[in-house]
Amino acid sequence: MDNFEKYIAENKDSFNEHKADRKKLWSNIEQELDKKPAPKVFKLWKSPIMKVAASIFIVLGLFSVISFFMNGGINPGQNDIVNQELEEIDMYYSSMVTQQVQLVKLNTKLSQEDKDEFLSFMDELDTEYKELRIEMKENLDNELVLAAIVNNYKKRIELIEKLLERINNSKNIEDGNGYIL
Amino acid sequence: METNILFTHKDLVEKGKSGDRSSQYQLYELYVDAMYNVSMRMLRTKEDAEDVVQDSFVEAFKNLSSFRYESTFGSWLKRIVINKSINHLKLKRVPITAIDDHEFHLNDETVEEKETDYDIKKIKKVIEQLPLGYKQIINLYLIEGYDHVEISDIMNITVSTSKSQYHRAKKKLIEMIKEL
Repeated sequence: MDNFEKYIAENKDSFNEHKADRKKLWSNIEQELDKKPAPKVFKLWKSPIMKVAASIFIVLGLFSVISFFMNGGINPGQNDIVNQELEEIDMYYSSMVTQQVQLVKLNTKLSQEDKDEFLSFMDELDTEYKELRIEMKENLDNELVLAAIVNNYKKRIELIEKLLERINNSKNIEDGNGYIL
Repeated sequence: METNILFTHKDLVEKGKSGDRSSQYQLYELYVDAMYNVSMRMLRTKEDAEDVVQDSFVEAFKNLSSFRYESTFGSWLKRIVINKSINHLKLKRVPITAIDDHEFHLNDETVEEKETDYDIKKIKKVIEQLPLGYKQIINLYLIEGYDHVEISDIMNITVSTSKSQYHRAKKKLIEMIKEL
């Protein structure tokens, strides 16, 4: 301790120059002490942990809403795979169906009447199929919708098969005729 | 003797612990001026100092049961006042330490200790005028009598920062006294 510090230490008391307003302070202190401890209200929003939790919750919420819309309303993840698989099956069938329809259209051995009848069935099934697709986007999990789609395809294939059968039959008859001739 | 000091006002403290209002008042009477001065030195304004002193007594009486005579009641109470004052300064964003915090101090003890006649009134005046960042460390070390370990704890700085800050603040203080 140098002289300066010593000097101050010796004169410490002179730094106590203020006098407190005893009465005023005490009445405030007493008031505070007499206060019944207020029923503890745990304010969730005031706790820092809760604040952090809330922010995380909001961020997660926003993120999932955004990703929901980005994925056209279907949740990512597991459904993605299901969706993709479905899409592949769908593509396979639809290409098959259009190919067959094209074949029927180009077939010369069928009367215009038969063709129109067949194609009107096909169109009917097509609109039904489109409706089912929309339904499907809204709720992928619905087994009824899935079953309906499969049925739709089955009907088309059945229809085509029958038509082909008829064509082949007439071919056979013609062939037979040929041989007979 | 040491232990006797620690147990100063033991009766009052013990009664105060059990909630005896008149004992609490007696303790208050004994210490209020000292505490008010501690707070005034740090905060400089009457209203702030009064608020801090009130809060400190309330907190002290409410937590009296945790006082275990590890220090005197006075220094325990004073520590509450100091902490509350520091918090008050922080809330008001008043710098409690100087900002440029270099860790070097030149061979500082070449102080030209010519036996100048210090004048306590002058010193008090100059301390009032000290830059904000210097004032608290001078206060805590020179006047309140805390050592650097205690100050580092109070101000949440390292011991060496406390030392270097104090040396710089003291240098500044002496300069200012000479200029006066």
